[in-house]
Amino acid sequence: MISDSALAESFFRHGRSDACPIIDMHGHMGRWKGIYFPRASAEAMIHTMDQCGVRLLVFCHHAALFCPDIGNAASARAVRKFPDRLRAYLGVNPHYGAALAADLAGFDDNRDVFVGLKLLASYHQVPWDAPAYEPAWRFADQRGLPVLGHTWGGSSLDGPEQVRRAAEKYPNVRLLLGHSLHGDWGEAAAIARDFPNVYLELTAVLDDRGVLETFVAAGLSGKLLFGTDLPWFDPHHGIGAILSAEITDEDRHNILHRNAERLLADVGAKPN
Amino acid sequence: MRFFDCNTYVGLPMNPPPGQPARPGVSAQELLAAMDRAGIEKALVWHVAQRDYDPLAGNELLAEAIAGHDRLAGCWTLLPPQCRELGDLDEWLARAAAAGVRAFRAFGQENRYLLRGEALGDVLSRLAAGRRPLILSVGKEWQALYDLLGEFPELTVILADLDCWGTDRYFRPLIERYPNVCVEISGYILDGGIEAFVGDYGAGRMLFGSGFPAAYHGGMMLALAHAEISEQDKQAIAAGNLDRLLGEVGP
Repeated sequence: MISDSALAESFFRHGRSDACPIIDMHGHMGRWKGIYFPRASAEAMIHTMDQCGVRLLVFCHHAALFCPDIGNAASARAVRKFPDRLRAYLGVNPHYGAALAADLAGFDDNRDVFVGLKLLASYHQVPWDAPAYEPAWRFADQRGLPVLGHTWGGSSLDGPEQVRRAAEKYPNVRLLLGHSLHGDWGEAAAIARDFPNVYLELTAVLDDRGVLETFVAAGLSGKLLFGTDLPWFDPHHGIGAILSAEITDEDRHNILHRNAERLLADVGAKPN
Repeated sequence: MRFFDCNTYVGLPMNPPPGQPARPGVSAQELLAAMDRAGIEKALVWHVAQRDYDPLAGNELLAEAIAGHDRLAGCWTLLPPQCRELGDLDEWLARAAAAGVRAFRAFGQENRYLLRGEALGDVLSRLAAGRRPLILSVGKEWQALYDLLGEFPELTVILADLDCWGTDRYFRPLIERYPNVCVEISGYILDGGIEAFVGDYGAGRMLFGSGFPAAYHGGMMLALAHAEISEQDKQAIAAGNLDRLLGEVGP
């Protein structure tokens, strides 16, 4: 059911598909001030991943972004507890330069945990091109790391102009546009076409019918990444939306796992 | 599993959402074809012109759209009666019933009135007496909703289109205080949310809705089909609860 695809039938029947081991490229973890999360612990999130056929989650703990007193240690603890299922982005809080410098200095010694960096400029209220972010950008550019940035249409902090400027200035960064410049879908597609290292991440995109078809019709099937903000959104909701969309099963495989597998392999973080 | 979608519209929106297909709305025939593709048996439908253009014209368009389609039940949009736009309220409700209308909607912000007894008392008292459901797209107007339910605690209200960015702390107090308040799940995409709600309140006050054509049919279909609740509870949410609510609607 859901649609006439073989993949849809498999997911609808079993809740997951062995032929389609999902990689979720945008997660968080832990409690957060604004939302009641029934499943916020690492254990509960792994349970959800099992139910939905999510093989690997790349996340940044809420504490790393919202609580400098705890920082990235919370992500590291979770990855080391579930090394086969979790990898983390190093959270960048631009207001604490010394802590960021220390985190970056330790990054290479913690490659078992971290695959890249995470920016949340709209929440930290600092634009991507501010000097406070420059050490993080340079670090990621030198190593060709993924940087997952929350991006939002119309934002002066992490909107299209900031994204285009960063993609031009740091061409080695694998730039993952979290939420795909939400609402500014045309500009998101244009930037993803213009820059080979820019990818569109689909958290909170899949609740708007038609955007996915627009991206695929723009030739971007190979640059779309599945994400859920877990523990925010039920992966089955996003999967069901992808199964409903008028795209092919090949596109669905690209979005749900193949593109992420290739990206992670390119940066030496291929899942087991 | 049998699905009865309580949140879907027909017609073309005034302003298509950015990035959506060239034809973001659907006719009744197109809706039925999409329901067939998804595996949805029935739907409770409103017409987008009720919100975007004019409630009365939209109500007539809705009646025309669902006429002859027994898989589609209708929603009409109400107005405060003080401007005499609805005519005699009892006759208006009778016309609605004859047109296949089983539930009602209100768009206070778009139609510029307050969701309060002073404005809607005569209408809402009739809805409550006839157990006719009122479906409200909640948006961020929680204060108004709390006030409304304080005045009409017996009203059957379906909270629809919940903001995906976390609403439990808003709607749970209403669930606990007012026995005829239900939640529609098209926007309730919280991980583990269905299970937590059913664990705390049972399955009887949660309703499947898709939000189609603004949203995909399959998102909450898959989430509900694999929620970790009993098969009986899934079926109640998917269709049984809406069947029950509409079956209670009086003359």
